[in-house]
Amino acid sequence: MGNCQCQSNTKGSSIYLPEIARITRKKLMTDVDCFFEFEMEKRPLGHKYGQFVEISIPGIGEAPISISSAPSSSKKFEMVIRNVGELTSVIHGLNIGEAIGVRGPYGTTFPMDDLKGKSLLYITGGIGLVPARSAILHSLANRNDYKDITILFGCKDPSQRIFVDELSEWEKRPDVNFLETVDTAANSNWKGNVGVITTLMPKLQNVNPDNTVAIVVGPPIMYKFVIMSLHDMGFTDDHIVVSLERRMKCGVGKCGHCQINHIYVCQDGPVFYFSDIKDLKEAI
Amino acid sequence: MEILKISLSDFLAHVNKKIQAGDSKQVGVVPKGSHFVFGELDEAAQLCLDYDVTILPPKKYFQPQREVLVKYAPKDASSYAMVNDCENLTLIGVHPYDLVAIHLMDRAFSEGERDENYMAKRDCSVLIGLYPTRGFEHRFSASMIDPQMPYKVADLMLIKLDDNQLALEVVSKKGKAYLEGAAVAKSDLSEAFLAQARNKVKDSQAFPLGPDKSPAYFKEKYEHPVWEKLGEKCYSCGSCVFVCPTCYCFDVRDEVELSLASGERVRYWDGCMIESFAICAGDHNFRKERGARFRHRVFRKTVTLPEKYQVMGCVGCGRCAQACTADIAGPMKVIKTMKEMN
Repeated sequence: MGNCQCQSNTKGSSIYLPEIARITRKKLMTDVDCFFEFEMEKRPLGHKYGQFVEISIPGIGEAPISISSAPSSSKKFEMVIRNVGELTSVIHGLNIGEAIGVRGPYGTTFPMDDLKGKSLLYITGGIGLVPARSAILHSLANRNDYKDITILFGCKDPSQRIFVDELSEWEKRPDVNFLETVDTAANSNWKGNVGVITTLMPKLQNVNPDNTVAIVVGPPIMYKFVIMSLHDMGFTDDHIVVSLERRMKCGVGKCGHCQINHIYVCQDGPVFYFSDIKDLKEAI
Repeated sequence: MEILKISLSDFLAHVNKKIQAGDSKQVGVVPKGSHFVFGELDEAAQLCLDYDVTILPPKKYFQPQREVLVKYAPKDASSYAMVNDCENLTLIGVHPYDLVAIHLMDRAFSEGERDENYMAKRDCSVLIGLYPTRGFEHRFSASMIDPQMPYKVADLMLIKLDDNQLALEVVSKKGKAYLEGAAVAKSDLSEAFLAQARNKVKDSQAFPLGPDKSPAYFKEKYEHPVWEKLGEKCYSCGSCVFVCPTCYCFDVRDEVELSLASGERVRYWDGCMIESFAICAGDHNFRKERGARFRHRVFRKTVTLPEKYQVMGCVGCGRCAQACTADIAGPMKVIKTMKEMN
């Protein structure tokens, strides 16, 4: 198509063109979840807590994945990728030094700056820990900015635990209240709590809902029950922050796949104060 | 705004000159069986300036059904290269409701993250509007669009005065440039006469709510049984969204040549009425009920876009009502069914 005068093809900008990142570390965490550290080829990713990127392999496709590391000025960033489809399966098979495509970072962030001076209650389920970890690591590295820090983590069974070394570190820290549970512990030597994540919440006697903000990230089924329990504890909706999962196909607020009524989750979310979306039908 | 006159034969002669010059593709409305479509003109005589509605809206020229966004060598991420194909294009005979739809698409693709693949195609286009000369049983556009809004995107507007004469409203510099060398004359027509000529065709139905009242009205009807009642007849075929001039949702897929030497990341039309549209990883479908998908589509037109742009998201073209096999898709049908149920 040679007759065009607009020179758009030579302008060199496209919101759909991925950049390159290479695998610098890789470690299988469960039978389906693999930890990756990537290094951007040209620039630091520059992400904030709770954001995601669109990652891709040419010829396979593209998918949104949460960033798990705390914000930093380095070109490196971390993710945990669950093997649920063709793209993630191919990425699991890549070796150190191999490249993927990256677009982003996209989306809203956990409001860590606004939360300075407050107590934090992280409630994470399964790989919901992955995006929450970007905020957890930040708050632990800047421990004096926040009052009490409580971290709850729950998963289906002991084999599904991720970041196990960090979980035991958090458990040992005197300045962190860490509680963990598994839904079922059959056929394992698990000695800890058993039950869904809401069974941990009655143990939180010292949490003051007036000066604490709950950050809730987990599978879709978890939100309703956790939020009901938070209400029972006296939390108001403007003290609850959630991160929603949707099919964020383009990441730039166009393709419509992640739309919930007037909200494009990829741009207006994924992180929301619950008070801003509680009346949004289909959200939770 | 400058108003000119030109005879139909002189206008067609001018279009022929443009076709022969070959520096811009001339696209117009042409008959297809008993219907009409936008298609490339080989000669101006094919152009039809008297039609009810086209099967597909002109959005296909700015957001094609299939559009390559990125090309690459498979599995080699360092080979990613952007693709942005566009060409000079003139669209002749676009009805006002379709012009308003293009205005909405322009806003969606230019605001926030700017989509250069869409915007480049728009930048390379000249839009020649045409006031309708024929009624269409499903149309209710007069109640949906602000009559000034087509002028936000039109470069020229045609008003058919009779079988041989056209009035030409010169809206933009691009429009004026298009007319260079055409046998135009100054218009001696009064504004009153032109106003009548613009509004010769009347709709047989009107949507009762504008962009100010529609969002609140429909939000109150979120739990109304109409969504399930109409939705249960839906075949989830997607016809309503594909023919809609303001639906721009898309899917992106990777396609690799059989030789595995090269591949493309391709954008295709997609729509919220298709069952798989809102499925996430792990097969969780956030809108698996037909009624919920039906409501989502109607809400996008009557709540979401009006709240965002203060313009109705439906332009009243009537294409969805005509295309829908189950006869449920038209917004007028929703209003009528709600009334019957109350």
